[in-house]
Amino acid sequence: MPAKFVIGIDLGTTNCALACTEAHSLNDPVQQPTASLFEVPQLVNPGEIRSEPLLPSFGYLTGPGDFAAGATALPWNPEPSLVVGVLAQKRGVENARRLISSAKSWLSYAGVDRESGLLPVAAQEGVAKISPVEASRQYLEHLRLAWNHQHPEAPLEEQHVLVTVPASFDAVARDLTLRAAAEAGFRDVVLLEEPQAAFYAWIERHTDWRERVREGDLILVIDIGGGTTDFSLIAVTQEAGELKLDRVAVGEHILLGGDNMDLALARAVEAELAAKGTKLDTIQLFALWQNCRAAKEKMLEDGAGPKEQPVSILGRGSGVVGGTIRAKIRREDLDRVLVDGFLPQVASTEMPQERRRAGLAEVGLPYAADAAITRHLARFLRQRASAAEHGAVRRTRGGLTAPTHVLFNGGVFRATRLRDRLLEVLNGWLREEGVSEAQPLLGEDLMHAVARGAAYYGLARLGKGVRIRGGVPRTYYVGIETAMPAVPGMAAPLKALTVVPFGMEEGTELSFPDREFALAVGEPAEFRFFSSVRRKDDPAGSLIEEISDDFQELSPMEVTLSGTGGEREVVRVTLKTVVTETGVLQLWCEARDGRRWKLEFNVRERVGGGSEP
Amino acid sequence: MGILEDWRNDFLGRISLAIHCFFSILFGNRLPEEAARLLPRQEPPKPAAPPQPVAGPADGAVQILSILQRDARLVDFLVEDLSGYTDEQVGAAARSLHSQCGPCLTRYLKLAPVIDAVESTFLKLDLAAPYYSDPAALKFLGNVPASGKAPGGILRHKGWRVERIELPPIPATGSLAVIQPAEVEVE
Repeated sequence: MPAKFVIGIDLGTTNCALACTEAHSLNDPVQQPTASLFEVPQLVNPGEIRSEPLLPSFGYLTGPGDFAAGATALPWNPEPSLVVGVLAQKRGVENARRLISSAKSWLSYAGVDRESGLLPVAAQEGVAKISPVEASRQYLEHLRLAWNHQHPEAPLEEQHVLVTVPASFDAVARDLTLRAAAEAGFRDVVLLEEPQAAFYAWIERHTDWRERVREGDLILVIDIGGGTTDFSLIAVTQEAGELKLDRVAVGEHILLGGDNMDLALARAVEAELAAKGTKLDTIQLFALWQNCRAAKEKMLEDGAGPKEQPVSILGRGSGVVGGTIRAKIRREDLDRVLVDGFLPQVASTEMPQERRRAGLAEVGLPYAADAAITRHLARFLRQRASAAEHGAVRRTRGGLTAPTHVLFNGGVFRATRLRDRLLEVLNGWLREEGVSEAQPLLGEDLMHAVARGAAYYGLARLGKGVRIRGGVPRTYYVGIETAMPAVPGMAAPLKALTVVPFGMEEGTELSFPDREFALAVGEPAEFRFFSSVRRKDDPAGSLIEEISDDFQELSPMEVTLSGTGGEREVVRVTLKTVVTETGVLQLWCEARDGRRWKLEFNVRERVGGGSEP
Repeated sequence: MGILEDWRNDFLGRISLAIHCFFSILFGNRLPEEAARLLPRQEPPKPAAPPQPVAGPADGAVQILSILQRDARLVDFLVEDLSGYTDEQVGAAARSLHSQCGPCLTRYLKLAPVIDAVESTFLKLDLAAPYYSDPAALKFLGNVPASGKAPGGILRHKGWRVERIELPPIPATGSLAVIQPAEVEVE
């Protein structure tokens, strides 16, 4: 049966969303495709199922005594081992040691074995932990079964499905996302970068987009989600009289988002209360956190927002009034903690601090050391240009990439004041460098744009609508040990062979016939694997002498050559890289006789010091 | 003066009760309450197994209370002795309660005014509307004519009625009588 729907899934750090559009609008020459949001049925209280526009990306490992028998039954699963969504988040506040959160951030963290039982990090002895891949699988499976429950005539696995990932996700994190989707019963999933999806959502809402941008324009997409900040640059080019869009750069992975902002504000209020002798417990702190989120949005909306906002946290015992804690959030606090703390006025030459500051770090995840998003932006805009960018990208004489437009995405930007500040800082840099200011592109529905944009892109892939050309947003290298006389206690120096140049396009492949490797049949052979977002000009096949700070080591790639007999055979192979039509990166070993073996990421191997920055 | 007073000592009284019982059984098919109390107490037979809990109308009421308690702490607030607190303290809690009660109420109940018009203005009543003939839906105050009904007047309160109730299904197990579990935090 042909697919009836194109489905976009935003698998977020703190929230998931699903949008769909009807595939038959493809054949309709007049009708513009529109994507609509699927409200996700989920447990919101024990025994109560409700459809909500977002599925919070939280899992709760139910234990004995957590819920009454049958209270966590779903129409498609009478006894789930993991409760997902609103109820998981609610119960998780009361018992954080069974709560799984930020699974997506763990998925992209090379410092741990992402297929081992890691979460919840703080689980008590005796709780069966699950892996970040398994947690992601559970969220995706919930979405699939919820959809199938409401659309039995069009099961999700038979539709065109797109799942979004941060542009800064490396090949391993993308591979693991695909693995989670496959294990969740998805078929033929296509991945799409979130900032691109946000831009597609803008195009979907502005069918006259060709009149709003012109050749030579450069659009900076700033996507601040719950847990991550993601930058991308999209250049408007022209080909045969038609406007084209090229994604020319993506930022590094920054674990810093809206949740950090709300928490920072809550911590500031908590400190003020503590000074007056009032102590909050974890549940009250969570209530304060939620209050701060609401207060932030109210006060940062427009210039006319209230000067101060009272927050009250009800008493814990049966005495509500007696135990109520009152506090105020003042405009100055917001400006100090949020605007100046996260978006400080800095020079475009100021780079983020690499050292972790006390207070921001938490057990496990490599949170960004510097909370200043403006400094991360400065570093992004000062990245070296790639060959593909030349000509298409506006740059100042001082070497700063100069966007002409800015598209904001993510719930954080519902606060007008934060948008204004970012624009103010960016335009300050541009003025200083003597170029014209960037204009904001107004997106709508900042919380759901990514899912909607993904559905639009699904149609574009099928032929209706414009496609952003991207290619691989990083350069990838295989480590090669140099032949040298062995020196005791010293590892042989490593060089890097460029196997995937920046921007390598979907549906293309590259061979490296000059470099042969001798691999023994039946024994696993391992290749060390590196990537770089900053190095964009290394051509395919080039050998880099020194592996510097610009490189990040990923999980190693492994291959076991299957042979014919029991004899110890050594096969000489060469490497080949393929970027599939769906944007998946593959490495192959090819023998002269035509036999070939695919290399797989070995995420089980712990990588020494190869974590993301 | 009751029939039973001093009946043990008063023979006439006992005859009177006997006759009363006779007629009561003959015409009313039941023993008078006063006499029934004299019979040895008969325990109702114990049911073989506890009956399966069946949701009754009272369960819905308890459920709404427990929802308002869970989401907005309403029961705690109503039960609490407020005499020792300042208006400011009560106000701070009330603001929080109010912001949580409202969404909770509208989520599970759909409320609508009985008469959708501006209060404190003159209103001509729709004599054909269902509310006009329903004393539970429409109440006349002040200079009410002898007929008990008037064609119009000043609308003092537009009234509320429940258009729809959407409560989650009541679980088959567990005690519905609990509207807030006791909470024990492990150190």
